[in-house]
Amino acid sequence: MNKLAKKIDSAKSKWEKLNDNKEPIVYIGAASCGRAAGALDLKEGIKTFLDENKKSARIIEVGCIGPCYLEPLIDIKMPGQPRVSYNNVNAKMLGMILKSHFIDGAPHKKLALGHFGTNDIDGIPKFFDLPMLKPQVRIVLRNCGFVDPEEIDQYLAVDGYQGFMKALKTTPEDVIAVVRQAGLRGRGGAGFPTFRKWTVCRESPGEQKYLICNADEGDPGAFMNRSLIESDPHAVLEGMLIAGYAIGASKGIVYIRAEYPLAIDRLKRAIGQMREYGLLGKNILGSDFSFEIKIKEGAGAFVCGEETALIGSIEGKRGMPKSRPPFPAISGLFQSPTIINNVETLGTLPNILRNGPDWYTRFGKEGNRGTKTFSLVGKIRRPGLIEVQLGTTLREIIFDIGGGVQKNFKAIQTGGPSGGCLSEEFLDLTVDYESLASAGSIMGSGGLIVMDEDTCIVDLAKYFLDFTQKESCGKCVPCRVGTRHILEILERITNGEGQPDDLLALRTLGDTIKKGALCGLGQTAPNPVLTTLRYFRNEYLEHIKDHRCRATVCKPLIEYRVIKEKCTGCQSCVRVCPTGAITGPRSEPHNLDASKCIKCRSCYEVCRYEAIAGDAIVIRTAERQS
Amino acid sequence: MTREKKVSITIDNRKVEAKAGLTILQAAREAGVDIPSLCALEHLPSYGACRLCVVEVDGIRGFPTSCTTPVEEGMVIRTDTAEVRTLRQEVLKLLLSEHPASCLFCGEKDDCTEFQGTIRKVGVTTGCHYCPNDTLCELQDIVEKVGLTETSYPVYYRNFPLEKEDPFYDRDYNLCILCGRCVRVCNDIRLNGTLSFKQRGKQTTIGPAFGRTHLEAGCEFCGACVAVCPTGALSAKVSKWSGKPDGIVESTCPYCPTGCTLDLKVKDGEVVDVSADYDSPTEHGLICVKGRFAIPEYVMSPDRLAIPTILGPEGYDYINWNIALNQAAEKIKEAGAKGVCVVVSPDLSNEDLFTAQKFAREVIGTEAILSPVIYDMGSDLRAFVDLVLTSEPIDSVESAKGILSIGLDTTYGFTPLGIAVKKAARKDTTLVTIDDGECNLDFLSEEAFRSNPESWPEYLDGVIRSMSGNGKKSKVPASFFKKGERNIAIVGPGAIFSKKRTEIFDRVLSMRNDLGWKVVVCHPYTNLLGMLAMGAFPGLMPGSLKSDGVLKLKDPAAVVDLKGKRKVGYFIGEVPSGGLPRCDHIIYQNALPAPEGVKPFLNLPAALFTEVPGTTISFEGRILPFNRASEPFGDSKADWWIICGIADRIKKGALKYGSVSAIQSEIKKAVPGFAGKDKKITRKKVVMEGKPAEKPLSRKVAAQGPASFRGVPLHDYVAGMKAIEERRHK
Repeated sequence: MNKLAKKIDSAKSKWEKLNDNKEPIVYIGAASCGRAAGALDLKEGIKTFLDENKKSARIIEVGCIGPCYLEPLIDIKMPGQPRVSYNNVNAKMLGMILKSHFIDGAPHKKLALGHFGTNDIDGIPKFFDLPMLKPQVRIVLRNCGFVDPEEIDQYLAVDGYQGFMKALKTTPEDVIAVVRQAGLRGRGGAGFPTFRKWTVCRESPGEQKYLICNADEGDPGAFMNRSLIESDPHAVLEGMLIAGYAIGASKGIVYIRAEYPLAIDRLKRAIGQMREYGLLGKNILGSDFSFEIKIKEGAGAFVCGEETALIGSIEGKRGMPKSRPPFPAISGLFQSPTIINNVETLGTLPNILRNGPDWYTRFGKEGNRGTKTFSLVGKIRRPGLIEVQLGTTLREIIFDIGGGVQKNFKAIQTGGPSGGCLSEEFLDLTVDYESLASAGSIMGSGGLIVMDEDTCIVDLAKYFLDFTQKESCGKCVPCRVGTRHILEILERITNGEGQPDDLLALRTLGDTIKKGALCGLGQTAPNPVLTTLRYFRNEYLEHIKDHRCRATVCKPLIEYRVIKEKCTGCQSCVRVCPTGAITGPRSEPHNLDASKCIKCRSCYEVCRYEAIAGDAIVIRTAERQS
Repeated sequence: MTREKKVSITIDNRKVEAKAGLTILQAAREAGVDIPSLCALEHLPSYGACRLCVVEVDGIRGFPTSCTTPVEEGMVIRTDTAEVRTLRQEVLKLLLSEHPASCLFCGEKDDCTEFQGTIRKVGVTTGCHYCPNDTLCELQDIVEKVGLTETSYPVYYRNFPLEKEDPFYDRDYNLCILCGRCVRVCNDIRLNGTLSFKQRGKQTTIGPAFGRTHLEAGCEFCGACVAVCPTGALSAKVSKWSGKPDGIVESTCPYCPTGCTLDLKVKDGEVVDVSADYDSPTEHGLICVKGRFAIPEYVMSPDRLAIPTILGPEGYDYINWNIALNQAAEKIKEAGAKGVCVVVSPDLSNEDLFTAQKFAREVIGTEAILSPVIYDMGSDLRAFVDLVLTSEPIDSVESAKGILSIGLDTTYGFTPLGIAVKKAARKDTTLVTIDDGECNLDFLSEEAFRSNPESWPEYLDGVIRSMSGNGKKSKVPASFFKKGERNIAIVGPGAIFSKKRTEIFDRVLSMRNDLGWKVVVCHPYTNLLGMLAMGAFPGLMPGSLKSDGVLKLKDPAAVVDLKGKRKVGYFIGEVPSGGLPRCDHIIYQNALPAPEGVKPFLNLPAALFTEVPGTTISFEGRILPFNRASEPFGDSKADWWIICGIADRIKKGALKYGSVSAIQSEIKKAVPGFAGKDKKITRKKVVMEGKPAEKPLSRKVAAQGPASFRGVPLHDYVAGMKAIEERRHK
């Protein structure tokens, strides 16, 4: 313990020095999202600027702070000044920002997004007062964007591993009791009380027990777990130590998608640092607790997020779910008692242990304690990674945090492909396990996909069913065959060939799959169809009866044409048309050859927003034709 | 035996007791409640894929599958509620939408089942050529049980190409319902791992990974997958159009000394197919390709000798049995006792071997009762017999601490032993393999020593040295085997037929004698123990293996002249390869023609083990039956009948057996154990003395020959075995 205490002391003094020092610091948000937006190029740009101007500064790559739409984010902290954040930085802006800070000695007020200081700065708001961030409560994400994910010292300096050390001083049963009092429920989707699973595992006989961290995040549009691991890997690993101690496991495995190379890299580095600091291995910190963590990369099957399939995959078998019982907590990996916890569940644990269960129950609502992270995406103005208290309404999430929808709000899909699609009437629904279930959807691991009037609901259901159908492992009949039939019917409907009794067939199929499928993937696969049928029945009927797609998405149901009276002959559409379907001399109304048109929508977009007269190109649906 | 725990449960309002640990499905079946199910099968681990066996259980959410849910005290189960019935019908409709279902919902269905025996005939009249499995198809039964009369979903024909390139069985995965039985039997029962699921979603199918053929993927062609397939997706090439068999006859496989139980399927008086018996105590149903697939084509070969023939000036002439037996008797009489040898095949039944030795000794008056094993083994015969007689049973392998396999590949033979070794190695047993190339046991071994047999004795020396404590200079990197533990050495064909076998036998014997090793010998001589027990061996009288202690026996080379030329050779069952023993005239008694280069003056057609009853003795000493499944081919006769016929013409009344049972009652008197209840013979240590034969006596010494029966290579008559022989030599 002494050795670590010394390291913590030195880490804390290093951290203070870093924050008070005389050297400027440039923080770059360099998780996968930031990198995709060009963060690493900016890093090179900063280095060049510093070299050219003979300035020195410390450049730190931090994780993701959340607002994806603001990427790449660059923060600059000059000596004696608060840290100032800049958004959507490009090379030109970078030059201006750096010049302002390093040469003019002041933040660039026009470009600045927000600052992290305690006192107000004229013209720059506080970062956490920004509308997207203000309603959020950051517990799991507390370090994201603030600590260097590759430095264990920084994590230690912000009270990292304190929760684990506290746990070590009590008995495993005490740890389970704390988690019970905190009311923590599994963040993987089903919301099963974490302590209950742990108790079963703890009490199961068996020499060897396993703790598995499920980082096989596969929902389209979900990236909570990736961001957390990339930005604060030690929080998840500390959670694994706590969970491992509580259930009596000596081996931990992180099952993570191979498509997350940066997260894997950071985990590996972090595990190495833990070992170096005596936080892994035999008799950790002089206690009886021994623990090892290994990484197992998944090969990209969605179904491997299902726990029995995940176990099979780790065992080297094909990832196919198995019937339960036996439950993994009794007989799991290699027939040993095994607990599988989601990344976020594990990332929450250090906070609960460190601050106590009473602190944690202050967040959320009765039965749904704490916070939940979501990846808020789709037709939203401010997409990003967010963390809110359970019990927040969808309206608050979409409109207050997300800044509303680009056009008119239509629907929100919660829980990814396994979840349901909720309509406007559910905007005041609180986000908690029971409310979402009662509306026919699920919490899921945290994907929120927002849709506006440009989204066709039938097409959306088709998209999700195409996904689940392709990702079905093929084992049980209802899932393998049932999803295929649903998909075929949906394809028919979107092609304008729907039959009146198709809706009944969809219901029957959905029902059969829900009741008959083996695993969670199958049982929830029809949810997108069943909920859209329930809340957007009219749109299905329009497709079937009127052959009309009101969102103008289903290509076989729409037709493009030029309104001669409005067309100015600007030729913008002629230039964008990839098939040469639009022709016509300049300054004269153009012709659109329907036989060549592939309905790519390019002309429509360009005319609506660029052309002088506008709206000369229209999309005709069945209704307007008649 | 521990008392079985019971739990009381309620199935459909009926209280029943069930054994703890059973699944609901098993408990219901024991209680006489029938729950429809497709993917579950006895002997296979439960799977839960077809979802037809869903039930309702109080306290369990949704509809659990009865095949995966274990019974618990006080469980209340309903197997036939309206909701369960609807769900089953809906699931079955989905299942059938992936399976061409014309035979299930066809308007002509009733007439079809009444008037047409097989789908092939149906195909002729209705153009319905889908499936070789009609009337055997479990789907047809299930549709009946679930009460489905129509389906609302379109059939999605997956358009998989018919797979016919591999030997023995064809695959039409368009008929596959992905119940996973074949995958489970291949992986969990046969521990082979050839089959697995491929792709996902609607493209899910079954086969070896990475697009290899079954042959390339190491398929044993054990046919277990074909046997468990509930549809016509997997079908044996030879029997796929035979339809439902008329009857099943239990018998024993004659192709090696393991003595696997076989269920011979008989249709229209012919053996058309074979299936394994999972309750058999010897091999537990784990038969190999030879027993599973190589019997019908061999016994029903159109080349079978049907009528006796004699060599005339213009080739062979058909003659009747009377003339044939007279000719044989005359030739043997002419030659006199010194001028005749009797050569017996070790693949003959006990009854034939007993009659043959009696014929030699009492009718001709010679000890020259020769057999291929004498010529194959030459100077190593005594060591070989010593090892064979102390060979351990298969079941002993599983409890071994260490296993050393020398020259054994169990892909196409000795599979029960191979699977026992794999099972042991999957647990805690240390397995080391020695082979001259890749072998199928390597992947589970601690070490796979691959080299030319030249260096095998050296490796064994290393094992011996490391175990006797002076292993300092030993070549074995780690001492895998410890003295005092239960170690088993398996001597396979690769060792028995290697140039270095003298040295290998020597090392194995000293491991057995000095270091306490147990030994299992895998050799191809089916009824070698029967041959010794019946006394069909020079200088060894029937029943000599009876008591404890050591039997001293002269080496055959010291008893009879092995190399000199005789006037007449009476070859019962086979002609040893290598041209020995040399004879002027050959009387050839077998089921298939003599090998090329051998020109018998008389061909006597013999009936085979499927046609005449008899017994054989497995390498474990079990006495096992050959039961009659069909009439003798053509005018062929039982071997003993032919021998008796010749004997009677040489010495009136010398050998007059009216039936097999007459021979058996005489054997019972002469051979101890034969009459015993446990149906086992005693094996005792035999020490051979006298000058051994020179070596090599026969060509076979240098190379392991192809799998053969009664001297005839199986691949000459069984099409699929050709591909397997080619594969074996790669």
